[in-house]
Amino acid sequence: MTPLLEFREVRLSRTRRGSAAWEPGAGITTDAIVSFEVRPHETLAIIGDGQSGAGLLAGLALGLDRPTGGSVLTMGTEIATLPRWEQLAFRRRVGYLPEGDGLLQNLSLRDNVRLPLRFGSDFRPREIEGRVDVIMAQLRIARVAAMRPAEASLEDGRRAALARALAFDPELVILEAPFEGLPDRTAAELLEAARGGETEHGGRRAVLITSPDLPALLRPRVDRMLRLVAGRLEVAA
Amino acid sequence: MIDLLAGIGRGMARWFAQLGALARFAFEALHALPRLPGAGRRVAGRILLNQLRFTALEAMGLILLLSGVLSYMIISTTITQLDRVGASELIGKLMVVAIVRELGPLLTAIAIVGRSGTAITAELATNTVLGEVRALEGMGIDPYHYLVLPRLAGCVVSVCTLMVVFDVVAVFGGYLAAAGIGGMSIQRYLSIVLANLTTQDVVLTMAKGLLFGLVIGLIPSFEGLAVRRGPTEIPQAVIRGTVRSIAVIFILAAVIVGVAQ
Repeated sequence: MTPLLEFREVRLSRTRRGSAAWEPGAGITTDAIVSFEVRPHETLAIIGDGQSGAGLLAGLALGLDRPTGGSVLTMGTEIATLPRWEQLAFRRRVGYLPEGDGLLQNLSLRDNVRLPLRFGSDFRPREIEGRVDVIMAQLRIARVAAMRPAEASLEDGRRAALARALAFDPELVILEAPFEGLPDRTAAELLEAARGGETEHGGRRAVLITSPDLPALLRPRVDRMLRLVAGRLEVAA
Repeated sequence: MIDLLAGIGRGMARWFAQLGALARFAFEALHALPRLPGAGRRVAGRILLNQLRFTALEAMGLILLLSGVLSYMIISTTITQLDRVGASELIGKLMVVAIVRELGPLLTAIAIVGRSGTAITAELATNTVLGEVRALEGMGIDPYHYLVLPRLAGCVVSVCTLMVVFDVVAVFGGYLAAAGIGGMSIQRYLSIVLANLTTQDVVLTMAKGLLFGLVIGLIPSFEGLAVRRGPTEIPQAVIRGTVRSIAVIFILAAVIVGVAQ
């Protein structure tokens, strides 16, 4: 099967964008060169702390950052080389939950979930509302839909961010530190929602998780787990 | 001596780099306009309406106060002097040239920089620091479409509208002073003012509204999105956005006066 995401000898180093103190890549101490792929239906977790460069992987996969060496193919395309408009359109095909959730603070949780559909789809308003209702019920945040992110709990915020990432029902979902600070049961529930149910080949969606750690309860639920240590990608025990 | 020259050179290079970055930002923002997706237009339209409410509607009281008080002060202090030398007709020229054409656009723009420019910088800098801008890009939403263009359009429309309001109120504020202190009738006052008002004055005032609105929409947005070092940089970005906007507005006002002579 053709991989949905392929990193070919990609150099992880402090990037231009990474120069912002809060963006991934700011704290990298050792440059790494990594190769891996995410196949359809597969859930891959890459574990590594802030200094390892694991936090750069999502940005590279989405073409938000350009690799300083090697190439990244997302659904067979190097997003970072596309013109800006095509990059934006392409990213709508991939679900993305950024570290810290990235919810817009001046919108309610429901409006946050609705935003990508309202901005990037030709669905009618009624279709959008229907789709948002389903996703919010699925992630159990309908009761807090009207809250702003600052009013909602960390758990509800993360659920809303995942709901937003799944709004277009993407084939590939990229999650940055999605379970930080969450109880194991909630983390397991979010992982199941990201996988989108089971098929005979594995999860309905392919999922890439980058995180400093993975709760023990979740380790049996991912298909592969790699650890980025001292500039090398190793199979985690 | 060489150190001094090197320091000046570095300062100039930094200044030109910032100017280049701002020019590129402005170009990309305007270039993004035709690419706004059909569905996104509705969302951007709502943000624009919100921006108009905040920048134009909620600032109306301040503009009414500024223009009324300013024109009353200027006309009341000059009309008695002009009357003494039999040159009361000159208040028409004073009203049109000093208030309607020069001070009106300038004071309106400064009021909007202080009120909305600061808010735009602080808001976009917060969006940047909280990772919201990166999240938007990750979702395939162009920050120019969602954050910059509605604010830019809102500022242009608001500044043009408030400038007209300022000028109209200033003319009537001037009448109150002319009538109350100089005993001038409304017919005489309006005939003097309108006789001095030319098409060029109207065109120049609207051109200033357009240019100042662009400055207030672009520079604070640019400074807000350029924050790199973290939340502590937000107040500095607000100061940079405000000072640079006011400086550019004054330079543009001077250039327009020079060109129009």
